[in-house]
Amino acid sequence: MSLVAEAFVSQIAAAEPWPENATLYQQLKGEQILVSDNAASLAVQAFLQMCNLPIKVVCRANAEYMSPSGKVPFIHVGNQVVSELGPIVQFVKAKGHSLSDGLDEVQKAEMKAYMELVNNMLLTAELYLQWCDEATVGEVLEDVDQCCQALSQRLGTQPYFFNKQPTELDALVFGHLYTILTTQLTNDELSEKVKNYSNLLAFCRRIEQHYFEDRGKGSSSIKSS
Amino acid sequence: MAAPLELSCWGGGWGLPSVHSESLVVMAYAKFSGAPLKVNVIDKTWRGSRGDVPILTTEDNIVSQPAKILNFLRKQKYNADYELSAKQGADTLAYIALIEEKLLPAVLHTFWVESDNYFSVTKPWFASRIPFPLSLILPGRISKGALNRILLTRGEPPLYHLREVEAQIYRDAKECLNLLSNRLGTSQFFFGDTPSTLDAYVFGFLAPLYKVRFPKVQLQEHLKQLSNLCRFCDDILNSYFRLSLGGISPAGQETVDANLQKLTQLVNKESNLIEKMDDNLRQSPQLPPRKLPTLKLTPAEEESNSLQRLSP
Repeated sequence: MSLVAEAFVSQIAAAEPWPENATLYQQLKGEQILVSDNAASLAVQAFLQMCNLPIKVVCRANAEYMSPSGKVPFIHVGNQVVSELGPIVQFVKAKGHSLSDGLDEVQKAEMKAYMELVNNMLLTAELYLQWCDEATVGEVLEDVDQCCQALSQRLGTQPYFFNKQPTELDALVFGHLYTILTTQLTNDELSEKVKNYSNLLAFCRRIEQHYFEDRGKGSSSIKSS
Repeated sequence: MAAPLELSCWGGGWGLPSVHSESLVVMAYAKFSGAPLKVNVIDKTWRGSRGDVPILTTEDNIVSQPAKILNFLRKQKYNADYELSAKQGADTLAYIALIEEKLLPAVLHTFWVESDNYFSVTKPWFASRIPFPLSLILPGRISKGALNRILLTRGEPPLYHLREVEAQIYRDAKECLNLLSNRLGTSQFFFGDTPSTLDAYVFGFLAPLYKVRFPKVQLQEHLKQLSNLCRFCDDILNSYFRLSLGGISPAGQETVDANLQKLTQLVNKESNLIEKMDDNLRQSPQLPPRKLPTLKLTPAEEESNSLQRLSP
């Protein structure tokens, strides 16, 4: 969006409270949705749940075409449509909800940095594994391992990345890791890498239970191994 | 340690040892980790593949790409991250991802895509270090590559026009600079008192942006307002890259000075002892008075003299 359009949208967003009928659109589960898109959708859902904002998830085969930017997922709130986690976080913030307000400047910087790391490594890995099935997967797996190691070390024994309260980083990490763990890919190596880190597994389970199971969402749950 | 390590990289200017970010990252890391690099600045006569620069060559290996070169140096025991905790190591990865995603596109744009900058500064500088006729082709190719990389990572719908992409990438870059500035605060380096990999990356990407004189300078202006980042770059330049006449950096020069001082003190002590012995001998009646040579202290000569005396 251009700077002017963004400011405009923010103003309109601020004007109205979050409605009861807010909807999230994604592609159909099962065969249609891509691993990477599923992760993105889950991240947005987790984020909204953490903000305590009600959202109804609707699966549509033509979701990509419905989206103004061509990107999924997108949310339809009032008479506005916003797609992708970044803009959605901004949009929600304009309505007065934020998970990261309590963070100081250094922590905010860290949060953004870790979100980039996740985007850089996990997303790339998911895209790679969706489209290419070859032997050169070795380097991709190494990157994933490095990323998971970093996330695991950063998380430590805390419940969330910034201790007691979840932030958009938690939502993003959950979206990706959960998707990797629960999606059937032709090889299991990607999910095996994640399973090596027990605190990450516990983290996913915790968010799944806390934010999804109560509300009856999440058809597949994490297999215990 | 083993064979000499040679780094081929783009040269310097505007007070920098290199104007090329990736070359600078490697050079800084080498200084921080104590790796003895022989730096080979590329000029017209160099015959290697310029697209792969910086390149590290040893007797048996050729390594390119900063991340791989740094890994290689670490395996050779040149490790600037030795004192970092696991969490700090994780943070390093995260911040490097941030820099590559949010800052790099705008840096590439400033150097290679923004026409005024490219035609008046970047292109002439690089072309003069590339042999004809490659000098006519390569800069243009690098420029196109930079544009492609920017559009690939940013130019997705709804940003169809370069102008909108430009606005977005500069916004991201300014935010990234602010984040780095917040994270650095008043510390000397990102993790305490000694520089590490992250410092090398930040320095590598920031210093050219800070120092190279461009006509179109919006990102540079923003950086200059973040005084702690500028101080960070200047400190590293002054401590690790300023060459004294002996070809030793000031940090190295200080060590030499300290050693010289120690030596001088030892020599003084020795000469005091000798004078005492001399007095004793003189007072003893059996021996005829002899004049022992006195030691005067002039640095260079004294060093070699005292070394001879001190050796067993």
